[in-house]
Amino acid sequence: MNATAVLHSEWIKLKSLRGTAGSLLAVLLVTVGITALAFATIGRSEADNAGAEPVYDAFYALNFGQIAAITFGATAVSSEYVGGALRVSLAAVPRRGLLYAAKAAVVGALALVVGVATSFTAFLVGQSFLGPYAIGLDRPGAVRACLGAGIYLALMALLAAGLTTVLRSGVAVLSILIPFILIVSFVVGDVAGGAADFLPDRAGQQILHEHPAGTLGAWSGLAVCAAWAAAALLAGWWSLRRRDA
Amino acid sequence: MTRIDVHELTKEYGGTRAVDRLSFTVEPGRVTGFLGPNGAGKSTTMRLVLGLDRPTSGTATVGGRAYASLDQPLRRVGALLDPQAAHGSRTARNHLRALAASNRIAATRVEAVLDEAGLSAVAGRRVRTYSLGMRQRLGIAAALLGDPEVLMLDEPSNGLDPEGIIWIRELMRRLAREGRTVLVSSHLMNETASFADHLVVLGRGRLLADTPMREFIDTQVRPRVRIRTTDDAALGALLDGHGHRAVRDADSGRWTVTDARVADIGKLTARAGVPILELAAEEGTLEEAYLALTADATEYTARPARTTTGQEASR
Repeated sequence: MNATAVLHSEWIKLKSLRGTAGSLLAVLLVTVGITALAFATIGRSEADNAGAEPVYDAFYALNFGQIAAITFGATAVSSEYVGGALRVSLAAVPRRGLLYAAKAAVVGALALVVGVATSFTAFLVGQSFLGPYAIGLDRPGAVRACLGAGIYLALMALLAAGLTTVLRSGVAVLSILIPFILIVSFVVGDVAGGAADFLPDRAGQQILHEHPAGTLGAWSGLAVCAAWAAAALLAGWWSLRRRDA
Repeated sequence: MTRIDVHELTKEYGGTRAVDRLSFTVEPGRVTGFLGPNGAGKSTTMRLVLGLDRPTSGTATVGGRAYASLDQPLRRVGALLDPQAAHGSRTARNHLRALAASNRIAATRVEAVLDEAGLSAVAGRRVRTYSLGMRQRLGIAAALLGDPEVLMLDEPSNGLDPEGIIWIRELMRRLAREGRTVLVSSHLMNETASFADHLVVLGRGRLLADTPMREFIDTQVRPRVRIRTTDDAALGALLDGHGHRAVRDADSGRWTVTDARVADIGKLTARAGVPILELAAEEGTLEEAYLALTADATEYTARPARTTTGQEASR
């Protein structure tokens, strides 16, 4: 089996699914759209606050964009668990590791490209509304935060893709991950202190800070997030390999 | 060689054996009908051959190799398992293009099989808008994509309209004539009888028969002769005198001679000078043969037992 051919096949599969392609586009549209809305309305007054943190605040809309990234990763995989789709895929590519790696690579690469484009665009769009409060990419930590946010979005998509392979259901994964990210991590984070810093979203978002506080630094936080994604992908691989299709 | 070899194949799910030490070979150049009641293990066997499920023990190979070890398997084996396999929000063309790309099959083949399956006009429509028959045609198109030497079709005529059923029958006959190996599961007896040369019959995961179709029918159902005369008394005496078991149907006036052939009965009546109005062979049908064989192996037999055919009832 030829890896390029399988990658090509997975690319055709992804782009021909309206919902999956749509959720990838939504990462960009939602993040930039909400950034524009928020910064055009309350951007300057927020930036004037004593606690304002201009680099971190620039990625306010990432909270919404990451939901689209999770949806993208989950639906890209869950489409294989509708009907007997996986059987057809495995009959075409019986080497399960190759099929899985190709899918993860296409999901990760697309999410990374769109993620980085999203973070830079959102940053620049947001700042364009701030007038005297605006910061540029030359601000310390700004480029790092933009790159990190893009990588973070790709990691969340891969986390969702791995979990969907384990659970074989996009709905199950979305109904676990989205509440987790919106509520659990948020609430538990303030209660549990140190340990919560190692949750995937909290660790990964350390890189958005100009001066990350807490146990994890910018890159080490992102590495913890990547470890979560890798663990989910490995669990998915293990599950795909040992189960009957 | 492009044979499908199943050797001592066993698959257990939990405690139940779906396939039980099954061994058979599917040869090229003929259509092999794969028969058995629901739950007999036909689909499981096909999944095991395709490496989708892992056997508990035993082996299944195509051309001597495990399916999973084939390079570009779609060029060797085409399979139809489930008409719902194509994702509803993809178009038929994109579904086939993704499959073709993975095995480096030229894009022209996509258009060729769409045309073959009669889907060219609707290839740009989302599969969700397709009827079951159209999905079935798409599944068959996918099986043909790599121009494979081996085809495995699970219930291919499911959902097809009469025209589609004729199409799939002619297609399978042609593929076999071209020297390909064709394994087709079905629960429709008349359908299977119309295309199969050879039969592999399963019951409760075990092999019940692996024989040419004609031979299968002849061993399971004894042939009968239907005969009508103007002189019932003479005919009755003649048949009785030669040890034939015959019954006369009072309404139609027809005699049915069991376990006999027209050649013998025809000569007999001619020699005796009994006037004959009608003389016909009643060959056993695949359905009768199948029911005779699987009566014991049927897992979900309705009670009271299956309806017997008219001829059997009159005996």
